[in-house]
Amino acid sequence: MGASYSAVGWNRQKKIYDWIIFSFCVVYLATFIVLTAIFNPDYTFETVLIRSTSTLAVLILHVILSIGPLTRLNKKFFPLLYNRRHLGVTMFCIILVHGAFGILQFHSLGNVNPFVSLFTSNTHYDSIADFPFQALGFFALIIFFLMAITSHDFWLHNLSPKIWKTLHMFVYLAYFLVVMHVMLGVIQYETNPVFIIIMIIGAITLISLHLVAGLKEARKDKINYNLKEEGFVFVCGVTEIEESRAKIFCIDKERIAVYKHEDKLYAIHNVCKHQGGPLGEGKIIDGCITCPWHGYQYLPQNGQSPPPFKEMVNTYDVKVKDNKVWLNPMPYAEGTERPGANIR
Amino acid sequence: MQNDEFYIGWMQEAPKSFSAWIKKYLFVLLTIIIMLGVLLALSQKKFDSGNFEFGKLTEVKGIYFSKPVPVIKVIDGKDIWGNENYITVPLIGFGKHGADGVIADIEKEKNISLEAKEVTLKGTLLYNDGKLLMQIDANDEPLISVADAAINIADLQKIKQLGTTDIKGEIVDPKCFFGVMKPGEGKPHKDCAIRCILGGIPPVLKVTNEEGRQNYYLIVGADGEKMNDMVQDYVAAPVTIHANAVEYGDWIVLYVQQNGLQHYSYIQEHYNSAYVACSANCLK
Ligand code: HEM
Ligand code: FES
Repeated sequence: MGASYSAVGWNRQKKIYDWIIFSFCVVYLATFIVLTAIFNPDYTFETVLIRSTSTLAVLILHVILSIGPLTRLNKKFFPLLYNRRHLGVTMFCIILVHGAFGILQFHSLGNVNPFVSLFTSNTHYDSIADFPFQALGFFALIIFFLMAITSHDFWLHNLSPKIWKTLHMFVYLAYFLVVMHVMLGVIQYETNPVFIIIMIIGAITLISLHLVAGLKEARKDKINYNLKEEGFVFVCGVTEIEESRAKIFCIDKERIAVYKHEDKLYAIHNVCKHQGGPLGEGKIIDGCITCPWHGYQYLPQNGQSPPPFKEMVNTYDVKVKDNKVWLNPMPYAEGTERPGANIR
Repeated sequence: MQNDEFYIGWMQEAPKSFSAWIKKYLFVLLTIIIMLGVLLALSQKKFDSGNFEFGKLTEVKGIYFSKPVPVIKVIDGKDIWGNENYITVPLIGFGKHGADGVIADIEKEKNISLEAKEVTLKGTLLYNDGKLLMQIDANDEPLISVADAAINIADLQKIKQLGTTDIKGEIVDPKCFFGVMKPGEGKPHKDCAIRCILGGIPPVLKVTNEEGRQNYYLIVGADGEKMNDMVQDYVAAPVTIHANAVEYGDWIVLYVQQNGLQHYSYIQEHYNSAYVACSANCLK
């Protein structure tokens, strides 16, 4: 199976994904630009470009930020997650047009360097109403830039998943900067409340999705397993785990996935080495535990990715007694072979 | 068993239940996208009718004056008393620069003074709301001809003292405001207006009267000196100005008195200072 695993090119699904992104962007830009031209004929091209790209990018940003919680609430959203980085890179390219035109239009051809002008024209950094909102947009743009150029798996491996993940968590800071960029900028000029209402609805939607998904997860983690015996903890009945699937148990703050495969149970660490995806929400395909996020695979008996891949996760001991599953939360070193527990 | 379907991104095709769900989601998303596009496009403030004849050069003949700001006065017939009628066209430079540099270079190169001479200048016009301005760019070789004025320039130099006044408005840079950018005012445009004014474009006070009509005033210091550097903190925000107003034909110039430029405060205007001080005490 390793062959199909390595052959991740621009497959059919990726192509469909990219076509949908592209056509949705075109639909939005065309709608915005054409309607502005018709109903506001004194428009200037630069302003329409600045506004259509910025609003589109903020829209995409909301979509990106909602995918995580949506997949936690409903697995059917997983197809959105797999190529989420394409959405991120698209968003960056679009907002780069906005930022570049902003700097060109508002800061170039003056008596100082445009980047100096960006920070020194308006110096009311101590005021809320007068705050230089463009500087906020600039820092958000830098964050999106760093995320876009490191979006390839090459950087994930080179920076280590931990640093990479931390860097990509900055998207929330960027989102906050963008909200302030809009609130302290154009919203102080426009008289129609639609703009502020849309921003608030967007923020409320994102916050609620994150809260609901987070609570759901936290509730699962809170379950206490009190029945203990020689290091083993009673977790569930054998029949509660479906064939080729797993259940996740959070013991001593570590999440462990217990898989059922061909009449045996195996336990591995729940966290995927790629981007920390929940391995226990995956499925055994061709004998491999397959991560639901991007399809990385691990053998159930030793937590190792099939060659030529080198990812490894911790394994654990499981035993079955009277149709009850007992799990030992002491991890073995990553990639340690464990025999698994016979169900019968 | 549908429940057992599992999605993996590297598969050629997503399982049925997944693709059906995603299709529904995309349909909802597309609806939202179109609705937002319509809503946002239609909710924008109306752009004003200003015009910048980008890429089009026009020759304009008039008498040049460097004070209070560089202008040419273009003769437009005579009025009923037989005085010369004219339109004042303030000059500005390329990009975010005033016209002073271009004029100084021309005067130096040709070793002449353009003051009160009749000149023909080639430049780009911009206009809005009854005001006409012209951009002159050294690259366009703007000076076509220069000659002594053939008319009595005293008519053009008549001024009318309007007295001291207090006036409320917003400082804009006339280049963007009268045509180059939309919107050329307010918070989104603040940085640019500051950059233009610091680059030498003469600041203009935009005043909206009770009927909602706009009047425009050039602003300079009490002795006619440039105020560009002093207004930086006041651009694109409500201000009050205490100034000596002088009418130069079709433009009124405000000679801003010492400390005459202040941020406008709604509270201070509507509640007298005793009231504010009292409520401040109560809050304590
Ligand atoms: C160097 C970076 C940036 C600069 C110089 C900049 C500049 C500006 C300016 C001048 C405006 C007001 C334009 C107008 O008249 O409508 C604006 C508005 C806006 N910006 Fe930015 N921006 C930058 C980055 C960003 C980023 C990273 C985002 C979000 C992803 C963003 C989103 C928006 C939005 C949503 C608006 C309001 C809609 C509009 O009127 O354009 N901007 N920006
Ligand atoms: S997190 Fe990407 S494959 Fe597991």
